[in-house]
Amino acid sequence: MNALEVRGLVKHYPGVTALDGVDLAVRPNEVLGLAGENGAGKSTLLKALVGLVTPDAGTIHVRGEQVKLRSVVDAANHGIGMVFQEQSLVPNLTAAENIVLGSEGPAVRRGIYRWDVMRRLAQEQLDKIGSPIDPLARTDSLSFADRQMVEIAKVLRIEERSQHPPVVILDEPTSVLESKEIETLFAQIRRLREFATVIFVSHRLDEVLDVCDRVCVLRGGKSVGEVAAAGAVPRELHRMMIGSTGSDDHYHGSAATTVVEEQPRLSVRGLSGASFHDISFDVAPGEIVGIVGVHGSGREDVCRALFGAEPTTAGEIRMDGTRIDLPSTRAACAAGIGYVPAERKTEGMVGALSVAENMTLAKQQARCAGPFVAPKKQATLVDSWIRRLSIRTPGRDTPIQRLSGGNQQKVILARWLVAGDIRLLLLDHPTRGLDVGVRSEVYRLMRELAATGVATVLLGDSLEEAVGMADRILVMNDGRVATEVPCPTGAKPTPLDLVKEMV
Amino acid sequence: MTSEVVTAPRRQSRRGAAFRDAGPPVALIVIFAIFSALSPQFRSTDNVQNIVDAAAVLAVVTCGITFVLMMGSIDLSAAGVMGACALTVSLLVANNRNDNGFGLLGIAVAVLLGCAFGALSGLALVLLKVPSFMATLGMSAVGLGVATLMFAGVQPNITDTMVKGLAIERFLGFSYLTWIAAVCVLLGWLIQRYTRLGRYAYAIGGAEEVLALSGVKVKPYKVAVFALAGAFYGLGGVMVTSQLGAGLVQAGDGYDFSAITAAVVGGTLLTGGRGGIPHSAVGVLLVMVLTNGLVQVGVSPYWQGGVEGLIVVAAVAAAVIPQRRRNQVVK
Amino acid sequence: MSTAVAMKPAQRLTGFMPLIALAALVAALTIADPDFLTQRSLIAVARTAAPLIVLAAGATLVVLCGGIDLSIAALASLSTVFLALWLPNLGGLATPAVIAVAAAIGAVQGVAHVLLRIPSFIVTLGGMAILSAVALVVSGAGTVRVVDDSPVHWLDLYLGGYVPMSAATALIVVAVIAVVLRVTPLRSWISATGYSESAARLAGTPVDLVKIGAFCVSGACAGLAAVMLVSRQFSGGPTMADNLLLPAVAAIVVGGTAITGGHGSVWRSLAGALVVTLLRVGLPIVGVPSAYEQILYGAIIVVAVALTLDRSKVSIVK
Repeated sequence: MNALEVRGLVKHYPGVTALDGVDLAVRPNEVLGLAGENGAGKSTLLKALVGLVTPDAGTIHVRGEQVKLRSVVDAANHGIGMVFQEQSLVPNLTAAENIVLGSEGPAVRRGIYRWDVMRRLAQEQLDKIGSPIDPLARTDSLSFADRQMVEIAKVLRIEERSQHPPVVILDEPTSVLESKEIETLFAQIRRLREFATVIFVSHRLDEVLDVCDRVCVLRGGKSVGEVAAAGAVPRELHRMMIGSTGSDDHYHGSAATTVVEEQPRLSVRGLSGASFHDISFDVAPGEIVGIVGVHGSGREDVCRALFGAEPTTAGEIRMDGTRIDLPSTRAACAAGIGYVPAERKTEGMVGALSVAENMTLAKQQARCAGPFVAPKKQATLVDSWIRRLSIRTPGRDTPIQRLSGGNQQKVILARWLVAGDIRLLLLDHPTRGLDVGVRSEVYRLMRELAATGVATVLLGDSLEEAVGMADRILVMNDGRVATEVPCPTGAKPTPLDLVKEMV
Repeated sequence: MTSEVVTAPRRQSRRGAAFRDAGPPVALIVIFAIFSALSPQFRSTDNVQNIVDAAAVLAVVTCGITFVLMMGSIDLSAAGVMGACALTVSLLVANNRNDNGFGLLGIAVAVLLGCAFGALSGLALVLLKVPSFMATLGMSAVGLGVATLMFAGVQPNITDTMVKGLAIERFLGFSYLTWIAAVCVLLGWLIQRYTRLGRYAYAIGGAEEVLALSGVKVKPYKVAVFALAGAFYGLGGVMVTSQLGAGLVQAGDGYDFSAITAAVVGGTLLTGGRGGIPHSAVGVLLVMVLTNGLVQVGVSPYWQGGVEGLIVVAAVAAAVIPQRRRNQVVK
Repeated sequence: MSTAVAMKPAQRLTGFMPLIALAALVAALTIADPDFLTQRSLIAVARTAAPLIVLAAGATLVVLCGGIDLSIAALASLSTVFLALWLPNLGGLATPAVIAVAAAIGAVQGVAHVLLRIPSFIVTLGGMAILSAVALVVSGAGTVRVVDDSPVHWLDLYLGGYVPMSAATALIVVAVIAVVLRVTPLRSWISATGYSESAARLAGTPVDLVKIGAFCVSGACAGLAAVMLVSRQFSGGPTMADNLLLPAVAAIVVGGTAITGGHGSVWRSLAGALVVTLLRVGLPIVGVPSAYEQILYGAIIVVAVALTLDRSKVSIVK
């Protein structure tokens, strides 16, 4: 009997199908790897397994019995627990309190804490994984790796709750760990296998193959196959994850501009900040430079620093040879720099404002005559861009939050183009959460802009995207530029070549 | 092959935290030493007793507000709640307006009324989702209105010797009110350390969403914390009534702000999750020593509120400096 | 995100709430006291409402930016003291001087909020305490009489014999603020800042300047309100305007400006201020003791905030 089984799970979000009939079976006491590109549906599947997402169709079976999971507590009662990617511990409580949180049992009697009992309960869990952490230490005084151990211990407490061997889900547990800490974690996972079932998710395929018994691959919200880990190679997995890339020119590579050597548009020298050090690179006019790296590589912060949204401690930035200072985002705007943030809903757009207002937010001069807004000028301008980018909206005065994600993103891109003074575009995951069709349109727009001489820095939503779009790729690792890889059309490196440099 | 943006959790600096914990007591000693050197009157035993006695009411009110601040909420209702409770107690114990004489029971009713006011603020927060500073601002007005209604134009002077005696009679050199405050501080510390209510209040300030994720129902605890705070304000109102010998609508005037000042200066963050009763006790003494000392060296007592305003802004600013980020949203 | 965000009926209703409340109040008061709809009592209402309208209009800008200004009443009190003290020496120049000083004080609070990253309510709460203390010290904790009030007497005149000058001035202030916001990019900037500060900043909006500007205007309005108070009372006092804080906050939220920022307007606050004033003068007419006024303000603030709150924005309410 399977410890956990998922049949035909479907989940739609407005505009996107996250899960499209996923099947998955987890055997008792195995370590199952889950692999898939960004947007393949991994995180939605995991959330469904711990009751954070209610699927639209399909069933979940625990030890052969069909269950409905409505909350994390529900899932815990069925013996399923997850170690979250962003740690879910209360930083100012002790490790012991975190371990028993929500199921204190005998450790709290009539609202009164019994610290000795609590300590004992927590120690029991920590002993399961052989961790030497002091249960009464404050959580925020522990190292990241130790906190992860606390989190695993917390999840293991569901064993007592459900009276069954637990299913432990580890979501990207290695992303911020040092290699030695990863070794410890893997030892832990092998130990867990003795009495628990583990689902392990990681973007590092070599790790997945190293620690798992079996790997299941998701693509486009479907399970597309599985491989036994023994004997498999990362390349094989990667091919399954990406699928057969269509022969159609998804990335409009034919429209790629050839970069002529001249004065660089953007020149960064020795830029340092809180999470990045000594970053130097150039971007020529019309060039698209991709920056790739794992979590915590610091690439997002570099991007924000170039827009004046993240403080820098050293280094210089030159635009067309002139040194510029970026004390604020406003200064960056004035210098002809545009930024499309990764979090569209919270950082990209102002949801309640109209399409027109969002489109002209950064370049007010484009809709103003003198200090005053010129309604006619604004209408002409906005309508022309709505047509040019084929933005589907009931009208320019519609609140942007009523548009679909792709159209919202086009409005945000248009924001930087309306004044025609854009020289450098910083795109942070510009296609995140967009459908394939809209992605392609965004790619085409990027090519068009490059053709007019706009320099672009791209943080791709996936490695494949970065490779597909960029003319050159910077690989960042631990806050530094690890290497620079040329990436011309026709001689693209494979994503796997880059992965080696990323970790 | 994912590459999502998730900011790596920053490792907290323990040294910074230790410095913050040690700061207020050191500041208290330094300020005390400075004033002692400046003014012989300040360092007299009488004046030290004065400072401690004058701190009693503020200490009780601060105990209450500390729990609210620990959750990351704020409470501006102290003045109104204290006014309503002051009138309640003065009309329930022996007084010149009616023939009541409930004594201790009257005090208990006043404290319970404070509790009810607090619970109402808490309910407005969790059920109507009204931000706490608005909910409690409204509740303060309601409290003052209730007090005005009970005042009804005639000041109730209390004749109950027990209640009056609390402020006058002394035990081991300090007034009974001071001992009540000491018990409150101890009680508050025990609640914070040993009860689920106290620990959860602390945890709510640390990471509320994690509590919810772990299956803890946060709302009842939030209401309970506001109710607990209200009870402390109620007791504070009783204590003021004992000091004045009469029930006044303005009994709580200024205590709301002084209590926030004391808590913040003691090291409780407005964002919640740090500090606590011992910190606040130090904060109360700091505020009292500072205001008393300034008066002793000849500064006009009118400046008292101004000094508190300056130190609260300075203390909050100092607390946020280590956490500043460029694109951080501050409302 | 393809689903249209439908306007909930409740939301649509809150749009008209201040006007409905205003009409209902006028109707109720007319029924309770047929004399209410006379020129005399309407003029009295207008004169009472004027300082409140000005205070609320200024503070509305801060609320639109997503903050709050709790210092307006204390600042107005301090301004009455300054005005009363300066009138004998500065004469006609005292009025602009007081408004300029109040604007500067507002701006200082804005700078403290923006640069020190302190929540606006704590900055202005601290500001309130400091300003009250200054007012007490400067005035010696007593009322400052104005012997010659001719420089501010114009506010006591009547426009066309009927409209009180102070009410007309208040209307002009609201109109000027509203028009300036409408015809310049300021409205986009302010609402963007209020709705989503990080998105606004990442679109190059001068968020810090907008906020400081809002506090500055809020301060200037407090100064003007103080001039109106002095012209009516022939004196300045360190606590003269303190009891206007709650009515002003109530006016803003009753008008339907969301305390979470972005949504709202100064016109709404004008309607809100009229509602609050009618309640104030109306309660005695209906025979309710004025002690209920405070209770009513408290209840109104809580209910109005609950109704106008942008719930989608706040997942965790502190």
